[in-house]
Amino acid sequence: MKLIYTDSLVVGAGLAGLRVAIASKERGLDTLVLSLIPAKRSHSAAAQGGMQASLGNAVKGMGDDEDVHFQDTVKGSDWGCDQEVARMFAHCAPKAVRELANWGVPWSRVSAGPREVIVNAQKVTLQEAEEAHGLINARDFGGTKKWRTCYTADGTGHSLLYAMDNKAISMDIPVHERVEALSIIHDGQRCHGVIARCLITGELRAYVAKSTTIATGGYGRIYEVSTNAIICEGIGQALALETGVATLGNMEAVQFHPTAIVPVGILTTEGCRGDGGLLRDKDGYRFMPDYEPEKKELASRDVVSRRMTEHMRKGKGVDSPYGPHLWLDITLLGRKHIETNLREVQEICENFLGIDPAKDWIPVRPTQHYSMGGIRTKATGESPQLKGLFSVGEAACWDMHGFNRLGGNSLAETVVGGMIIGKYVADFCENNSLEIDTQLAEKFMRQVQTEIDTLVDGEGHESPFELKREMQRIMMDYVGIFRNGPELDKAVNELKALLERSRKLGIKCKKRHANPELVEALRVKRMLKVALTVACGAAARTESRGAHAREDYPQRNDRDWLNRTLASWPDANALEPVLSYEPLDVMKMELPPGYRGYGIDNAIAHPDTAKREQQIAEILAELGDNADRYQRQAALMPFELPPSLQAKNERLSDTLQRPSANALGEKS
Amino acid sequence: MSQGRQLTFNIFRYDPQEPNDKPKMVRYHLTETPGMTVFIALNKLREEQDTSLQFDFVCRAGICGSCAMVINGFPTLACRTLTAKYPNGEITLMPLPGFELIGDLSVNTGKFMRELAERLKLWLHPKANDISIHRLEEPMAPEEAARLYELERCVECGVCVSACATKQMRETFVGAVGMMKIARFELDSRDARTAEDFYHVIGNQDGVFGCMTLLGCQDNCPKDLPHMQQIAYLRRKMAMTLV
Amino acid sequence: MAIKLSIKKWSAWLDLSQSLSGVILAVFLWTHLVLVSSILLGGDAMNWVARTMELSFLSSDGHGYPWVVTCIAVGIAALALVHVIVALQKLPMSLRQQRALQQQMQVINHSDTRLWRWQAITGVVILLLLPVHLWLIGSAPETIGPQGSAERIWNQGVWMVYLPLLLTVELHAAIGIYRVALKWGAARDLNSRSRLRKIKTIVSIAFVTVGIASLLAFLPHAS
Repeated sequence: MKLIYTDSLVVGAGLAGLRVAIASKERGLDTLVLSLIPAKRSHSAAAQGGMQASLGNAVKGMGDDEDVHFQDTVKGSDWGCDQEVARMFAHCAPKAVRELANWGVPWSRVSAGPREVIVNAQKVTLQEAEEAHGLINARDFGGTKKWRTCYTADGTGHSLLYAMDNKAISMDIPVHERVEALSIIHDGQRCHGVIARCLITGELRAYVAKSTTIATGGYGRIYEVSTNAIICEGIGQALALETGVATLGNMEAVQFHPTAIVPVGILTTEGCRGDGGLLRDKDGYRFMPDYEPEKKELASRDVVSRRMTEHMRKGKGVDSPYGPHLWLDITLLGRKHIETNLREVQEICENFLGIDPAKDWIPVRPTQHYSMGGIRTKATGESPQLKGLFSVGEAACWDMHGFNRLGGNSLAETVVGGMIIGKYVADFCENNSLEIDTQLAEKFMRQVQTEIDTLVDGEGHESPFELKREMQRIMMDYVGIFRNGPELDKAVNELKALLERSRKLGIKCKKRHANPELVEALRVKRMLKVALTVACGAAARTESRGAHAREDYPQRNDRDWLNRTLASWPDANALEPVLSYEPLDVMKMELPPGYRGYGIDNAIAHPDTAKREQQIAEILAELGDNADRYQRQAALMPFELPPSLQAKNERLSDTLQRPSANALGEKS
Repeated sequence: MSQGRQLTFNIFRYDPQEPNDKPKMVRYHLTETPGMTVFIALNKLREEQDTSLQFDFVCRAGICGSCAMVINGFPTLACRTLTAKYPNGEITLMPLPGFELIGDLSVNTGKFMRELAERLKLWLHPKANDISIHRLEEPMAPEEAARLYELERCVECGVCVSACATKQMRETFVGAVGMMKIARFELDSRDARTAEDFYHVIGNQDGVFGCMTLLGCQDNCPKDLPHMQQIAYLRRKMAMTLV
Repeated sequence: MAIKLSIKKWSAWLDLSQSLSGVILAVFLWTHLVLVSSILLGGDAMNWVARTMELSFLSSDGHGYPWVVTCIAVGIAALALVHVIVALQKLPMSLRQQRALQQQMQVINHSDTRLWRWQAITGVVILLLLPVHLWLIGSAPETIGPQGSAERIWNQGVWMVYLPLLLTVELHAAIGIYRVALKWGAARDLNSRSRLRKIKTIVSIAFVTVGIASLLAFLPHAS
């Protein structure tokens, strides 16, 4: 048996995983990263638009701070998030942006003086402050009060990932590429590493570590059409699920992005709308203001996606061989803007649609995009059930997104979460010793070996490709943007039948080394379990919250459903997960449930909400007018952070002697 | 759109790990569907005709650089190559030359790029190491940021390396990807390295002075990066260190 | 340190000297051809050019100094030698390199690489033919002129050297100048690159035409 030891093991070499690896290595820990692919090819690279951080350099970002970012995030989550985590996140986001600038990211910068932008289909001239010249710029994104999304043209994820990986290379962090983790080594209480398979040689290896961090991204590919890379198959979540102990949180919270191109489902960034692009129907009519008079195209993603679907159901979609779609119009931004700030979008339009977005409208429709759910963790990133198992980024349900994630908060979560959880992982490694139980590792190794033997030499005949296709269709048809009881039940039943069939998988290509069919077979069994947690969670949650929209239960029901779904799979032979619920305590919330400011205002209130509001008013009154915003915040909802990240964030407005920024502003 | 057309694929097949396998070209037939890309076609072939077929795709959107291969004589990203581009319906697929072959169309570009980054030290060497992340960031000229991003758009797909005859003949040659990245850090005002430092890395036969300006890199780069100008710029810069 | 530095920068010197020697040779070549083409204007014109090249205007008897031509020939030989030595470094010398190049060119369709292969092939041919030409001229400079040259070219069969030399050298020089321009950044964008490529082709064709016409123009002078 091949055994490899390390202190900090990270599975997944995207932004979140690499950031944790860097944090471990910084503390002198032996660190090792496993990845299906070369690190720089990770799906993080596909994030085009940017990451949110309340720097407040641009004139439309002035007055922004952690408080506003926190509020936007909580509202975006439809009060489904963990507010303490959202606070930790909002506080560290500016630090992460600045750190990345030090590591080489060429953030787009503010140019002093007038600049022309499109706001609400109108040309507007903004006057940027002299003092802000050369500082990091921000653009507008959906669901935010301020222009807060920092970016590098429209290749932000690419720039970030390259800078992060370069940093990791400079620190000599080894990345074992083309290696797939297939099982977590654990004893029911403590995680000891993973069993992984080399995708080139087929060799099985036991990676034994003090801490194991799962950073494998989302599970978008359980859907037929997704903006996700084809490797985002939820294997990380499945590994945790298969321990039978660890739980997955809010798996039914799946986000649909409003503007993926038809038919291939490749994303066009939210920056298109943030920069002033419009949505139009088959008559060329701009319909969003009718539904969302205030935020229009820039309401949160769940809302825009639903409004678009609603509008298409009214027969206003454009017919195509692939079903109806709508138009995204960015022609009004002008060729120069498109060629500099939306260049990836332009390339995608040219290559996959054969159109010129400076002249033509882009065919778009809502498409699966993001997994809010994932491996449930504490605020430190550690699994509450399995000691030493951490998770970060999209793979995790750290839970800053709740039931809907804001655009620009995912890229931010990878680097901010990685920064914070990285420190906790390093702490854990320093405080714990490596426990090597070779018998335990061997047991898990044998399990995986048997699984492979059965697939290669067994009697099975089911095709992994076929099972996967069917699963993806079921998810697409019954667990999509709008959901209802009968369809969800159907989905659960059909998925269970597929899971049953997956026990009789057989493969035609019998190679034990590089064998794409074997890889597919190993994955599809695991994906089916993940799909089932999504479908079961959605069927059980009889309310609408964020991205989870039930036609039969259209109200957000804080009274009965202000909680987090937890799914586990204790019986390996069972055909569905065990669900339980973790309540969200209104009495601890800094921002008690209310109206988001967009979407439908129809929530059933939680009995504690009024009580908590009253209490907040009292606490604030007691503090008096002299308390600054930090004191107020601390009085309402104190939150933990590693000491090195606790410092306040300096902003341009703090350094200005005279209040010239106030004199500057919008001139139409 | 030419729906229902019969496509013929000639695909390079070889598994270096199979003791008795020999490189060969295998023909496959497939019915074209509207908007079909080589990505879609290859997946269909694998699912329906030969499950052992090896190739690499990740983002399938022209962003990650995983799927470069030689399509009818031109190295490019397979995911964004529409089959409709080939009027006679004949498509020949070869793995990128110059890289370690994993099998069929899959080559190990990742290993190559990591080794290159380590060898050329392709990361920012900041002038100051103690810049606080809690304080206001250092300003940078907006034009500089835009120029840096232009050069950062490289996706490490390996096309420039495979399209470079110089690289094929001289294994230690850093290729356009290496030089472009050096040019990117040379331009970065945050980087502490001087022209003299960069000279040590690429001012030799393995770098700018080994490049014969065949421009396979420039002509095939899927991101249209300005290799020709940048390598010429570096060459002038390096030559200037002589005086 | 000084020595170490100069060794380290050897590659830069080599690359520069290849470009420089190439440019000088090309400029010489084209001048040379223009001068020889004076035969197209008649024997007297060429006679005048040949004598002027021998610096006849400096000598009292008006016959000039034929050894000047020998000097030029020696100078060109030296430059060519430098050019060849440097260029050899870039050619595929080993079998492994040749095979790798062959394989890559079979798989990948790239016209500038093919162009370079022609440059390499013509370079090798020139390497064989140029010494013959330089020897013939350098050893008997006084014979240059309508009759002497015609005698050499057509009666002694030297056209069998000159014709292939003309073709290869004109291809080689034009491609070389095109590449030097790109190499040091003369083509700022792709538009001007394709324009440069066109100019390169026109130059090749023009000089080959002039060259062949000149060779033929010697025919009547051959007795």
